[in-house]
Amino acid sequence: MIRFVLSRLLQSLVALAILSVVVFALARATGDPLQLILPMSATPEDYAEARRYLGLDRPYVEQYLSFVGRAVTGDFGMSIRARRPVVELLQERLPNSIRLAAFAMAITLSIAFPLGVIAAVRKGTGIDRLAQVIAVLGQSLPTFWVSIVLVEVVAGRLQWLPAGSNEAGLASYVLPGFTLGWFVVAGMMRLLRSGMLEVLDSEYVKLARVKGVLEPRVVWMHALKNALIPVVTFAGIYFSILVTTAIVVETVFAWPGLGRLAYEGISSRDYPVIQAVVLTTAVIVALVNLSVDCLYAVIDPRIRHAG
Amino acid sequence: MPAEPVTTGALPVPDVQAQPAREARGGRLPYFSLGIVALFVLVAILAPLLSPADPADQSLRNRFRPPVWMEGGTAKHLLGTDRLGRDMLSRIIWGSRVSLAAGVITVLIATAFGASVGLVAGYYGGRVDAVLMRVTDATMSFPVILLALILAVTVGPSFTNVVVAIAVILWARFARVIRGQVLTLMGLDFIAQARIAGAGAWRIITRHLFPNTLNTLVVLLTLQIGYVIIVEASLSFLGAGIPPPTPAWGSMIAEGREFVTSAWWVSGLPGLAILLVVLAFNLLGDWLRDTLDPKLRQL
Amino acid sequence: MTRAKRIVRGCLLFLTVLALLMPGPAGAQAKPDLTIALSSFATESLDPPVAGHLVKYYLSLMFDYLVGTTPDGQLSPNAGVATKWESSADHKRWTFTLRKGVKFHNGDDLTSEDVKFSLERAAGKRSTTGYAGPLRTLVASIETPAPDRVVIVTKDPTLIIPNYLSRALSSEGMIVPKKYIESVGDDAFARKPVGSGPYKFVEQITGSHVRLTAVDNHWRLGTPKYKTVTIRAVPEETTRIALLRRGEVDVTEISRERVGEVEKEGYPVHFRKEEAILSMWWILGPDGMVAPMKDKRVREAMNVALDRNEIAQSIFAGRAEPAAIPLGLSWSFKEIGLKVTPDMMYPYDPARAKKLLADAGLANGFSLDAYAYQLPGLPEGKAFAEAVSGYWEKVGIKIKLIPVDYPAFRKNWVDRKTPGSIGYFNIANRDWMGTFALLEKMAYSPSKPNDTVNDAEVDGMISQVAKQTDREKINTLMRNSFLRIRSEHLGMPIVYLHSPYATSKKLGKWNPGSVMYDLFFDELASGK
Repeated sequence: MIRFVLSRLLQSLVALAILSVVVFALARATGDPLQLILPMSATPEDYAEARRYLGLDRPYVEQYLSFVGRAVTGDFGMSIRARRPVVELLQERLPNSIRLAAFAMAITLSIAFPLGVIAAVRKGTGIDRLAQVIAVLGQSLPTFWVSIVLVEVVAGRLQWLPAGSNEAGLASYVLPGFTLGWFVVAGMMRLLRSGMLEVLDSEYVKLARVKGVLEPRVVWMHALKNALIPVVTFAGIYFSILVTTAIVVETVFAWPGLGRLAYEGISSRDYPVIQAVVLTTAVIVALVNLSVDCLYAVIDPRIRHAG
Repeated sequence: MPAEPVTTGALPVPDVQAQPAREARGGRLPYFSLGIVALFVLVAILAPLLSPADPADQSLRNRFRPPVWMEGGTAKHLLGTDRLGRDMLSRIIWGSRVSLAAGVITVLIATAFGASVGLVAGYYGGRVDAVLMRVTDATMSFPVILLALILAVTVGPSFTNVVVAIAVILWARFARVIRGQVLTLMGLDFIAQARIAGAGAWRIITRHLFPNTLNTLVVLLTLQIGYVIIVEASLSFLGAGIPPPTPAWGSMIAEGREFVTSAWWVSGLPGLAILLVVLAFNLLGDWLRDTLDPKLRQL
Repeated sequence: MTRAKRIVRGCLLFLTVLALLMPGPAGAQAKPDLTIALSSFATESLDPPVAGHLVKYYLSLMFDYLVGTTPDGQLSPNAGVATKWESSADHKRWTFTLRKGVKFHNGDDLTSEDVKFSLERAAGKRSTTGYAGPLRTLVASIETPAPDRVVIVTKDPTLIIPNYLSRALSSEGMIVPKKYIESVGDDAFARKPVGSGPYKFVEQITGSHVRLTAVDNHWRLGTPKYKTVTIRAVPEETTRIALLRRGEVDVTEISRERVGEVEKEGYPVHFRKEEAILSMWWILGPDGMVAPMKDKRVREAMNVALDRNEIAQSIFAGRAEPAAIPLGLSWSFKEIGLKVTPDMMYPYDPARAKKLLADAGLANGFSLDAYAYQLPGLPEGKAFAEAVSGYWEKVGIKIKLIPVDYPAFRKNWVDRKTPGSIGYFNIANRDWMGTFALLEKMAYSPSKPNDTVNDAEVDGMISQVAKQTDREKINTLMRNSFLRIRSEHLGMPIVYLHSPYATSKKLGKWNPGSVMYDLFFDELASGK
């Protein structure tokens, strides 16, 4: 088991290393950050001066090595746009993303659970199909459009809820959380439904029904438990995705999170920020994947040896 | 936003009870979904014939005309006009071409590449598998939207960029799932027999493994088309989608987003189109999964 | 079945609890603070030489300028640290007399030492405002003969010093505390800035907001009506308007297209008239204009092919006015004595455009690339580019629209990679001093990369302005530069943009002023 975890860790590190080179190159390919921070009237001397001051005139290899060298200690350099350590920016923004993702996940669960259970219980009926459609609806609409309509109607016209931005307490989480969460409902509901059906349809239960024995609680608990493990792992993986890819929702709801930091970084060609965000994203996703793999390996020994 | 994450590609939590024999859940054909998909595919193919006007023809005096059934609407523009006075109906018709093409092309590329990787990794196992899976992992952890943004900012937004940015990351999902399937298959007797009979790697992969993964591929494929269309819309919102003046549903919604209550048809109608098409593809994919292979509940 | 019912009930309960946690509709409580929503923060730094004019909005509340201005842009001895300024006869020594009793937020007194320190810092290596260059070349030394007197000695005679260090331009005139910065260092200062302005820094969450709190009994504003001022970045317009409706913000940037919607509901909208000129230009080649724009007739044709009135009415919802002179920054016109007469306005004449093209041998038209991008203050950017292309198509010029973002366009522009292609900018309007600074960049061949004009006569006139000390001569030179640019069609002026700001119904009086990149939030906050 330990060997498994260790070997996976090592492989993840290799993946991260590859990723670091890729993102370093990509970030620099985006263009010149000075175009944005120097005003229209700046001269070539101003550019050369600024470049020297920010260390952007060193050879690429040197820049890469210094980037990696400091990254392993958690120092991602200074944001070119904000002139502050990138780590500080991450510290400000990451918790916001995590909180929003957690709330969104809670909403997802509270919608997916009833839908999934009802659909499983009423399998094959109109209610089953309706539940499926409601779930899939969340994946069939562009996120930004749902967000904007919600802001305009629910926040602006009806004024029931704040239009995002985490200043107004828990209520401001609702609209962005719902938008983020609804997208995930379909997948979770499917898992729940099929997981429960596995057991409900099993020979044992069928036999019990034929015999006229009422469904014992045990069957229900078993059904739920059967469905829970994939659901939990799904939720975990999705959580990491929600944290790292909520750009659209964060933009509409003015939520200062990781997604917006990435967008601002790319728009201003802010290399250190771009690199830091991508690497942070990769680390989060890798950690979650690793945990999920370990969980599966614990449950099913076959996987330990295959992977 | 990804439609589904595929967990680890490892086997589903084993249910020691035998797979229950259920009748195909779908039962009847999903007429609604098939109908919608067929309708839009037809519209996309016949766009030049169906479109009443040139989708790029702008007339500033005519901007924001409401659809014909509202006050101020005219029969000349059945679905109204947009911000630059262009005919909405024509743009939606032509837009079906662009959006559907984006979805289908991207998914086909991702499928081809991802399935190949999954097959190879599953078949060879061991080191090959480990290396390929790490690359797959690294790929999957790169957010699609960020990559598309970076590409848009580096080489400028274009149809090709959208396809490339999404396909380059989407393939990883296919690879994982297919690999998981292949691992199961490899443990079955008929593979061992084929080996004993002297079949080489290529033969086994193409003749024995691949056909058995087709069901999975078809399901995944169908489900991801909708996902690509939705991602394109999000990219347009961020400025990295298919650029104007090409009519694409996603960018039409993005362009009209300031007017959701005042000129709702500018983003509402393309939004409805996306909703119908993606919903149809998703429901179709669900039905396919239920009919072809109920084991794929993780998808 | 009971099990299922219980699960479902549990979930519904959870959702209900969630619903109960929401507060009722906003607007019930009185808000002591002023909240302003902008579409973005150009930079997030709070340090004047780094942040520059792009964030004067809130920097001008935290810091005092050496030379203040009225909202109309007139230099004023009542609004800045300097109560009096005069030059020597040869215009090489400028003496500023400082106000007594000005204190920084940490209690230190503001003296001439701080002024000298600030100016040297503004011209130093760390500066990225782009306006430091002229300071570096002009200023020879700074003397501090007394705690309340500063003398700036320049290498050449010049008139520009007071304007340059005023609120009318950029951030070079902001005074920062010498002792504080020397003790905590630049980075710490940038994170927790200390100034002498009427509002002091409370907190900044990058990407979200900046919060300031009032200083009691400040020499500039007394005790202001609003104790705290919060400036928020809210990128999506729908969200900004929703915040206005909910009473969560008092002032918001709003697009021209949605003014009508908001006015109908009774929200006052303040306009900064002619806040910017939307001007288009052709990217130059290594030797200036490339064919076919080398031909004056082609340049004129492209200008008269455009219906500026229709553009102003439709794309900009009527909140714009046709412009006549390329790069024509109208807030300077009165000062330099330039009157725009009706014959200087370009007519909408596609027939004439076609004829001019035919005369130039291009009866079959030609192809051009045009970049399409959005800019802060110009959300209509892409729609505008598409619209303009439509007009040119109608006279036979085939336009290929290239959507980019501004940094990508800028790179092509200054690198001169794609000569002949078209770009645009909403150039912020400004006074004569700022206008000269802009012409010196965008209409002057020696400033190679940014030049858009490349005309020897204009070059000659501009090079004389910097050395002139006679205001009348300066005015004549600038007038003639504009007239020449116009008569030679060395660019394509489109419209002057009026920028709307919607406010809450109980906000009261506000004059956003006509100073570049400044909205005079301090005047608003003072409540006078």
